[in-house]
Amino acid sequence: MAEVFANATQILEPFRGVKKVTIEEYFTSGHRTCQGCESALVMKLMVKAAGPRTIVLGATGCMYVANTTYYTTPWVVPWMHTQLGSSGSAALGTAAGLKALMKKGKMKSEPINVIAFCGDGGGADMGLGAISATLTHKEYNSLILMYDNESYANTDIQLSGSTPYGANTTFSPPGKVRRLIHTRWKKNTAAMLAAGHTECRYVGTVCASYAVEMMNKVRKALSIGGPTFIHSLDPCPKGWDYDPMLSHELGELAVECGVFPLYEVEDGVVRHYGKTKAIVEGRPRKPVREYLLKQGRFAHFTEEDLEYFQAKVDEMWNEWEIPGVIPFKKAPAGK
Amino acid sequence: MAHFTCEVVYRGIFQKNLAARICRGIVLSARKAGRWGIAFGRYGDSPQRNGIPAKDFAIVADTQEELEQNMARYEPKEVDVTICVDDTLSKGVESWAWYGLQPINRLTVPNGTVLMTSLQSPADLLKDIHKKEAPYNLALIPAKASFSGLWVYKEDHTEARILGALAKIQPGFLSLDAVCAAIQEAEWGSELKAASARKAFERLESRPVKITEGNAETPFSFEKPKWWEMREGVSIPAIPIGKPMEGGKGYVPERNPYFKKFTTRTMRPVIDFDKCVKCTLCWLQCPDSCFDVTPDGLYDANMESCCGCGVCEAVCPAKDCVTMVREDAFEDNASQWEMWRRDKPAYMTWMGDKIASKQHVVRSHGFRFRGQYEEEIKQSLDQGGTEITAGIPGENAVGKQR
Repeated sequence: MAEVFANATQILEPFRGVKKVTIEEYFTSGHRTCQGCESALVMKLMVKAAGPRTIVLGATGCMYVANTTYYTTPWVVPWMHTQLGSSGSAALGTAAGLKALMKKGKMKSEPINVIAFCGDGGGADMGLGAISATLTHKEYNSLILMYDNESYANTDIQLSGSTPYGANTTFSPPGKVRRLIHTRWKKNTAAMLAAGHTECRYVGTVCASYAVEMMNKVRKALSIGGPTFIHSLDPCPKGWDYDPMLSHELGELAVECGVFPLYEVEDGVVRHYGKTKAIVEGRPRKPVREYLLKQGRFAHFTEEDLEYFQAKVDEMWNEWEIPGVIPFKKAPAGK
Repeated sequence: MAHFTCEVVYRGIFQKNLAARICRGIVLSARKAGRWGIAFGRYGDSPQRNGIPAKDFAIVADTQEELEQNMARYEPKEVDVTICVDDTLSKGVESWAWYGLQPINRLTVPNGTVLMTSLQSPADLLKDIHKKEAPYNLALIPAKASFSGLWVYKEDHTEARILGALAKIQPGFLSLDAVCAAIQEAEWGSELKAASARKAFERLESRPVKITEGNAETPFSFEKPKWWEMREGVSIPAIPIGKPMEGGKGYVPERNPYFKKFTTRTMRPVIDFDKCVKCTLCWLQCPDSCFDVTPDGLYDANMESCCGCGVCEAVCPAKDCVTMVREDAFEDNASQWEMWRRDKPAYMTWMGDKIASKQHVVRSHGFRFRGQYEEEIKQSLDQGGTEITAGIPGENAVGKQR
């Protein structure tokens, strides 16, 4: 019998369809983000799913800098800034603080959602240790949402551990002598955290192009309790260099091409969902070139680079232990 | 001793490289003419955002000492020439870091010049450009705004043409020969580009603007909080939750009152309310939460918060329901839904007029597909460098053929 969590959580029922989505905004207009900023959309949907009894903690990144500048903010719910690498610590500390205050009777005892967000720089790179630590503290309820725009997009698009193979960034400009400067494959953050924290009850990947599914994953993570983690892929018109109106479409393409699989790991059970589930069940993936050549950061790619990228994605699907998720392979029989 | 100061007002990211090249070109040309110069960007606009107005500056001086005097300032308070590389910015500038809207000609000195790339007539532009207490000149280079992105630069000669025009406006500082020599020497230079600069020099037309001319509107502004008015710690009051609209059926979110998106837009959505199927997707997928839910279940794009990204058009499943139209086709930020409700036939005429113009619905910014800029530039050069019509007209239909 699993340990019963001491903290009650808000039970948030999934939205059954687009029209059932709550009308109120808790992250509203007037933020200084780019045109077509998908990360701002993630903030809006995340907190819309969580509801008014929520505290949001933001690690440094574009969603901090663009959202609370010059004594103004678009946040409706309480929000606090935390340092670049400390989204995990802030989530844990806030959850623990709330619990202590409630236990001592200094505040009304009620379930309050604690959500900490970080970018891929803050989450996949420098905050990874703190997030990992938080995911082992099962007695506190918190959600860490990593909005992954695949670069340090706030400070002018520097390379992060989440930047895809070959992308043009200020740290990896393609040159005449060497066409590709960044030749490392993207970190598999969600799966890494899911695999390494056996008592973490929920890890999921989402994309805001599938808004209702995305909000329902947030609701599930908050309802399930304990430390949880969500990895969101956010097309970034600035860093990826495309027309802002393509934000939605590029999110869909990332999933349909199999570059970013949608899955959740709930109590150790992996489930693919949405378009990814259809791919696992046999629906063909779109070629990655459709996704890559709509973005200026891959404008220097040759056929050879496109083939390499496609081959790596194919490998994710055809050879991995769990398609697109866990990169282990079974040893051949008899060895 | 004399010096010359110039600002380039541009759209963050989209025209970042263009503005940097113009300012660098000014300095290189000044060096060719035996002067000193420096080019720099406004600190507050870095980190830049897509589409949000930003500024770069160039200062040219006769001597090094005079240049240093000017560099000791945080940024120029007045400029001899304001270069505006997107005519939708003629409505004013609200950059990332600014409080309120500033007229495009605000820093221009009396009898200075506002140099713009535009296909509009001076009379049309002056409907948007705010009145100024002093006369100035309006110089126009007939061209569509040159938008590209961060990594893929659009080599459409805009920077060469601006430099050529500048040689005509400020002959005492930049001679045409110096400009052409600088263009040829720079890494992006070519004989063809120098020819474009010469052509712009010859063809540039400017017109004096009197103090009575221009948009009479008072630009949007608000009081900055004083330090003693701020709350303890570094805390900011949250936005209150929104309120129901008329009878409690609709919903209007409260919005951050201190950052409007008046000038972040190059295009805005025009909505055919009769074609709306009430699917909610525009409202749900709008990153700026700019749609108000109306009592009749329609969605009204609020022009104080719309930044014109076009995601609503991209996600709308109803054909021709949402159409992005160039910002210069509009005079105000009034509610389209209210206009439609007041007088439907009049609204349909107004809307039909906006979306029928091919010039107004062609989208010219962002990287869309490999080879796009090469195609556009070829067309531009074939047509004598006056107008670029490439881009994808009628996105609404094309975007859905998937």
